[in-house]
Amino acid sequence: MNPVVEVKNLNVTFKGEEGSIFAVNDVSFDLAAGETLALLGESGCGKSVTLKSLMRLHPMHKTQIEGQVLVEGQDVLKMKSKALSEMRGKTVSMVFQEPMLAFDPVFTVGDQIAESVMRHERISYKDARQRALEMLDRVRIPSAAKRLDAYPHEMSGGMRQRAMIALALACKPRVLLADEPTTALDATVQIQVLLLLKELQRELGMSMIFVTHDVGVAIEVADRTAVMYAGRIIEQGPVQAVLSKPWHPYTQGLLGATVHPGMDRNQALPAIPGAPPQLIRRIDECAFAPRCAQASSRCLSPLPSVNTLTPRWTRCIHADVSQA
Amino acid sequence: MSALLRVQDLKKHFPIGKDLFGRPTQVVHAVESVSFEVEKGRTLGIVGESGCGKSTTARLLMHLIEPDEGRISIRGKEFGNIGGRHPVAQLRRQMQMVFQDSYASLNPRLTIEDSIAFGPQIHGVSETLARQQARDLLDRVGLNPSVFIRRYPHELSGGQRQRVNIARALAIKPEIVILDEAVSALDKSVQAQVLNLLSDLKKEFELTYLFISHDLNVVQYISDDVMVMYLGQVVESGPVAQLYENPAHPYTRALLNSVPAQTPGQSKNYIVLEGDPPNPIAPPKGCRFHPRCQFAKAICAEKEPDTVKVSGSHKAACFKLPGSADHQTYIRLQEVSHEPRC
Ligand SMILES: Nc1ncnc2c1ncn2[C@@H]1O[C@H](COP(=O)(O)OP(=O)(O)OP(=O)(O)O)[C@@H](O)[C@H]1O
Ligand SMILES: Nc1ncnc2c1ncn2[C@@H]1O[C@H](COP(=O)(O)OP(=O)(O)OP(=O)(O)O)[C@@H](O)[C@H]1O
Ligand code: SF4
Ligand SMILES: [Mg+2]
Ligand SMILES: [Mg+2]
Repeated sequence: MNPVVEVKNLNVTFKGEEGSIFAVNDVSFDLAAGETLALLGESGCGKSVTLKSLMRLHPMHKTQIEGQVLVEGQDVLKMKSKALSEMRGKTVSMVFQEPMLAFDPVFTVGDQIAESVMRHERISYKDARQRALEMLDRVRIPSAAKRLDAYPHEMSGGMRQRAMIALALACKPRVLLADEPTTALDATVQIQVLLLLKELQRELGMSMIFVTHDVGVAIEVADRTAVMYAGRIIEQGPVQAVLSKPWHPYTQGLLGATVHPGMDRNQALPAIPGAPPQLIRRIDECAFAPRCAQASSRCLSPLPSVNTLTPRWTRCIHADVSQA
Repeated sequence: MSALLRVQDLKKHFPIGKDLFGRPTQVVHAVESVSFEVEKGRTLGIVGESGCGKSTTARLLMHLIEPDEGRISIRGKEFGNIGGRHPVAQLRRQMQMVFQDSYASLNPRLTIEDSIAFGPQIHGVSETLARQQARDLLDRVGLNPSVFIRRYPHELSGGQRQRVNIARALAIKPEIVILDEAVSALDKSVQAQVLNLLSDLKKEFELTYLFISHDLNVVQYISDDVMVMYLGQVVESGPVAQLYENPAHPYTRALLNSVPAQTPGQSKNYIVLEGDPPNPIAPPKGCRFHPRCQFAKAICAEKEPDTVKVSGSHKAACFKLPGSADHQTYIRLQEVSHEPRC
């Protein structure tokens, strides 16, 4: 079966007054129907930029995008603006990290969901409002009928996040891009929303790319995971395998730094020393080398390309890949 | 030791909806009789259902909104822009807040450096010094100053923006810092760095934190005391170890149980809370948790449970607790059989 999403050698560069920022480098992955990929990685490594590329949401004049982004066989990067706006929200839909970016502060939440439905389906305002109500109900917004007429700022952070999930799912998309959709939710609502997303996914045969910092959440929702560092995917594979036996030293460091229940409160947390590199040039060597305990001189010359079509791979040349 | 921050019977209702005459038709019971104290140098973790009033409580403490009822004092001083109180501007030097929505709280037209250096300059620090401190702080939150000072908020990732907010709050050198989901947007390694930084600063400057978060593992690590809120009220509070090891309120138990397992292959059996999520417009009578509580009996739907001692300073509000005045009545009642409702 053909994958629903195929990203091939994606590069995203922002042009600014102070030079370029190479935010995404040579990123390739694909996604089958009904499959969920969890994107993990350092803050600022290009997860949101990658997701936004799938809907071409970057500021046009200062962004340079190269590569291919195929959604159901169509290259999003080559779409005309009409095809693009039909695709957005209908074929591919996104839950943003910042709920304020998705909602317009001057319209009510209900009208914004209804408006999005009417843009893609020929239905009346009344029916669209009805759909909005159903969706708010499904994401468990208390007294949904009343909240239909609430403005975004009148909702708590978590409620706004659920309203955004309702907005994203209102047109039953084929692919849902979820950028940390449950970070703002408490644990009881988070688990409800995760189970709900899984249920809707089965129902709609929807594929998901799920950005999260929470290893527990990745384990709960994803089939596969890709770990990003400094604009590249540095490790990819089945979620269980990668998270129980990470190959890349960055993934190992990331999991090691995670706060676990019952940690010694008097000890500093084992954060990875140093900081990620500036993305002001295209980095072809291992970007993690300056912080890596296993680094050798070979890590500092351009790394060989890896076969991204194998089920599990890493971009570390010293990784012990014998233990799967 | 006397408390640095004391909050008594705080209440805030938000009117919503309008009738023909523009009068509100309903009110959201956002915060209802919330009381607590924090001693200097301690960290109070605040957890609870989304929408239960954590951010509203924080905004009340900062006087960004005014309470309907209740008192807030720092070292016995009350603030407010009304007669007899200390001006709110003075409060801002003692208490700062990092907001949940990192984007909404930065001025989009100011560079990162200007944003951080702005506050101290208002409070009389020279521009040169304020800029120097801004750079030092950026460095300490793990953002290379030479890369970031001239950027604008929209040119940063979510986690980078949140660290700018932390730097900005600390720039004023406040005594109390309210951190509303301040580290949730960060990856776990940067989060570890920022948590280490918060611990170091706390020791260095004897800071006091109010740490609002949905990450129960992080709350356990960082807090000395924890307060659990449900639908505008405090349902349980106490020292972190006691509360996590021996949660007394049924809501706290469900909450702690819902945390996904961190180990692959160990899928958990979650106690998914039954029933509708709470409605802050018409909160249930009696114990606000009773429609979803597996231990609820008739009395829970009629009377509000009193807050009683579990042990030491660990307190909770539930009739199941032996200390509750109505505990004997509760024990004698029949269980209400619960039909699964979702
Ligand atoms: N419009 C833009 N102009 C310039 N640089 C940008 C722009 N948008 C993002 N960046 C930069 O690109 C990099 C990748 O950002 P992105 O938002 O994808 O990070 P992220 O992985 O989603 O991080 P987080 O986990 O913190 O949300 C960051 O270093 C960021 O500063
Ligand atoms: N300005 C407002 N007008 C009307 N209702 C409001 C307003 N601000 C907050 N509310 C309501 O008050 C309640 C408490 O909101 P608050 O933001 O304090 O919750 P929270 O505990 O911080 O939740 P979260 O964890 O989701 O951030 C919610 O029901 C919210 O919808
Ligand atoms: S008072 Fe009753 S309803 Fe409330 S938590 Fe206790 S047992 Fe449950
Ligand atoms: Mg992001
Ligand atoms: Mg909040």
